[in-house]
Amino acid sequence: MCDTCGCGTPSRRTIEVNERLLASNATAATHNRDHFAARQIFTINLMGAPGAGKTALLEATIRNWRDVSRVSVIEGDQATERDSARVRAAGATAYQVETGLGCHLDAAQIHRALHRMELARGDLLFIENVGNLVCPALFDLGERLRIVVTSPTEGVDKPLKYPPMFRAADIVALNKCDLLAHLTFPLDEWTDYVMATNPRALIVKTSAVSGFGIDRWLAEILQRRRAFLERHSE
Amino acid sequence: MHELAIARDLLKTIERTLGSDQARVLRIDLSVGSASGIASESLRFVFGILAEGTRAEGAELSIATTPARGRCVGCGMLFEFEGMIGVCPGCGRLGGELLSGDEMALRAIEVADV
Ligand SMILES: Nc1nc2c(ncn2[C@@H]2O[C@H](COP(=O)(O)OP(=O)(O)OP(=O)(O)O)[C@@H](O)[C@H]2O)c(=O)[nH]1
Ligand SMILES: [Mg+2]
Ligand SMILES: [Zn+2]
Repeated sequence: MCDTCGCGTPSRRTIEVNERLLASNATAATHNRDHFAARQIFTINLMGAPGAGKTALLEATIRNWRDVSRVSVIEGDQATERDSARVRAAGATAYQVETGLGCHLDAAQIHRALHRMELARGDLLFIENVGNLVCPALFDLGERLRIVVTSPTEGVDKPLKYPPMFRAADIVALNKCDLLAHLTFPLDEWTDYVMATNPRALIVKTSAVSGFGIDRWLAEILQRRRAFLERHSE
Repeated sequence: MHELAIARDLLKTIERTLGSDQARVLRIDLSVGSASGIASESLRFVFGILAEGTRAEGAELSIATTPARGRCVGCGMLFEFEGMIGVCPGCGRLGGELLSGDEMALRAIEVADV
């Protein structure tokens, strides 16, 4: 009650906070990033709609990365170990996170996974996020590179409909390019939409099925990993 | 539903701010950038449920939207986005480089002593 005048209304006060939301995720992500830098582990967060071909691109990458380094994968799905089994069959070590109700991976889940996996110095680490064009965009995992995998069957307007996701991307991979001949998908229009949401994104066109663009895809990853290794070699 | 994770984080931040203070939270002031991808209604909904039985039960979630600002990659003009992607008022080009408007913060809480 208000002591001063006895008016009978509870005394209200304002507490200034001024804190960013999801600050705890940011802290955990920074911790992961430091962990990766100390061990020279180049980490890529693969995001995209369900079925865009994230795992298919991973399989192609793993098969072509043998002579460079080991590849490890953290797989995030609401349920099942199916994607882990696929990347293991392709030659990677994999750790599955079943997110259950969660529609995205967060930095704390990655941190817990790191304690349970056997990562070696210099590994290439992929995190395949939950298939979803909305939620994963907001959660920094401590990665060095963010790739959004999308495909022409999703339609030309996805960058406009899901701007935070496309904005989060360093690289936007347009996968399933083998299907372009069979679809109405104006490539120039789509490119304009990607650039409208994220002018600094690099577009890489691929087909995990035909192998089209996989060399370029590998080269872009290789180049960024090399720069990272140079920065973090002690 | 990333709003669930955000609401959970928000409640944690409020609890930490209050510490052992036996106050009841009346209002929560958030500022959310218009390009952040946060759906205010979903956030209100899940926060209302999560807050049940806590000191923030029934608190009003007041969400101020801050406009997103960006730079046109065509003509370089700085402008305010309408929604998540803007159109440059200078040259009509769609979109641009986002400079601000994807942030979300807890500004303040208003409490009453019990
Ligand atoms: N034609 C064609 N099909 C592809 C290509 N890449 C993937 N697919 C097919 O698309 C389907 C989905 O591929 P996945 O690799 O499982 O997609 P994903 O993004 O990992 O899916 P989730 O993990 O469930 O979100 C499969 O049937 C693949 O064979 C491609 O480049 N071309
Ligand atoms: Mg997959
Ligand atoms: Zn312009």
